[in-house]
Amino acid sequence: MAKSDDGIHILQGLLVFGNVVIGMCGIALTAECIYFVSDPHGLYPLLEGTENKDIYAGAWIGIFVGFALFALSILGIIGVIKADRTLLLLYIILMLITYAFEMASCITAATHRDFLTPNFFLKQMLERYQKSGTGNNNGKSVDETWDNLMLQNKCCGVHGPSDWQEYTSAFRVKHNDADFPWPRNCCVMNAQGSPVNLDGCKLGVSGYYNSNGCYDAILGPMNAHAWGVAWFGFAILCWTFCVLLGTMFYWSRIDY
Amino acid sequence: VLCPPARVGWCRAWGAPHSPPAPPALLPYVPRLSPMALPGKLTATTFALERPHCIFQQHSNASDAIWLVVAFANASAAFRNPPSRAEVPLYQQLPTRGSYMTLEMAVGTYSCSAPSPAVLRVGADTACGAQAGHDPCNGPLPSPGPYRVKFLLMGCQGPKAETSWSEPILLRRASSPSAIDPSPVRGGSSAVVVICSILASLGAVLALAVLSTVGAEVWASLCHQGLGTDTFARRSYRTHHIPPPLTLPTGCGGSPPGLGCFAS
Repeated sequence: MAKSDDGIHILQGLLVFGNVVIGMCGIALTAECIYFVSDPHGLYPLLEGTENKDIYAGAWIGIFVGFALFALSILGIIGVIKADRTLLLLYIILMLITYAFEMASCITAATHRDFLTPNFFLKQMLERYQKSGTGNNNGKSVDETWDNLMLQNKCCGVHGPSDWQEYTSAFRVKHNDADFPWPRNCCVMNAQGSPVNLDGCKLGVSGYYNSNGCYDAILGPMNAHAWGVAWFGFAILCWTFCVLLGTMFYWSRIDY
Repeated sequence: VLCPPARVGWCRAWGAPHSPPAPPALLPYVPRLSPMALPGKLTATTFALERPHCIFQQHSNASDAIWLVVAFANASAAFRNPPSRAEVPLYQQLPTRGSYMTLEMAVGTYSCSAPSPAVLRVGADTACGAQAGHDPCNGPLPSPGPYRVKFLLMGCQGPKAETSWSEPILLRRASSPSAIDPSPVRGGSSAVVVICSILASLGAVLALAVLSTVGAEVWASLCHQGLGTDTFARRSYRTHHIPPPLTLPTGCGGSPPGLGCFAS
């Protein structure tokens, strides 16, 4: 019948369109996850060596899932146009596997973002910053990360300079309290990189020290990272769900 | 007896005084921590006092010196003003004597025309080592205290005026970072719950759909195998080569390659 033929043609058209969108989203997901894994803000050392670097695992999975989605979408387009049952069955099975991986990536990124509390970073900072005797790359990167963070964002500690006063720390073991109530990088620096007024900075005179904490500067990029992987992956999965259901309906309606 | 004003606080003895020195005048000023909002005014080893302003005018002359006496709060009552500059207790003697004097300043520093507000930071000089120096220095305080302070105006003859003792000053005691609990608030954010639940249900629906589709096909093939035909008999079977005259859509016989024939 002309009507059923048209119906099938429309379904084919929709499936091809759905697969084109999946392919493009796959490429976008790969690009986004590569951007996050490349760590443009230099915050990965803060998580390295803890149990909470799984938002990076989510991004790594996302790279491969995105590429797989692109490849499978091409397979799907070919299978739909040729109405080949074998190809479509292969497409459905591989898509399900990719679906499962993307689900894992999404859920990992979303749940592990919740572990990035201020206290988590505070404890890391107090225990690791300026910790002498480690000597390995791990310890040095944490120092550099915090130094850069405090210099570039003009902030101090996680909540503020009082973090260094309220708690003992590896920094306090290395530097005495009278000369260094907080690290030098909490001071306002001049163009040469030395404090504008060292005594003012030690006392906490406003204008000579950074009074705000670095938590916002850390959490902003990490939130963008985690939610970027989680929400975009979630959107792709919802779309893929519809396309897969349509493909299964199409598959069941074609003959050999 | 005149004091040569050559150096602040240095007096040459011009001979024994003829009468015992008068007890120092008690000024009503009470030293206190700086009222300014400075996060560094009280640390574990230092504290910042408000600089007294226009307090010592009527008792001082240009050659006098004003000292800060720092004593443990429980030793402040037993403190006796030193009769001369040579007997000033030093920073290194704090553990044994329970008090010391530091921050020797010229009278002009606390005069009415001095710029204010300002702070005096006690404990700022970390170069005061444990070496047995004979000069007064302003070293960091060794314990959280509590401490009491007072200002002492010393002239050539000895103390001339003093302020009251301050309230006890307790320094900061830092706690250990192992007491920090980094775990997130129980309950999680609602977005995570939404994502996880929707994804889980979608995944389950998909898995179910695949299983039911494939299962139906397999069941159909098993059911109809007994008939001896290998075909899917759910719907009427049409071949490409024998189009039924009335019902076949025109696109079937001459359909472009790649488009199968579909059951209507």
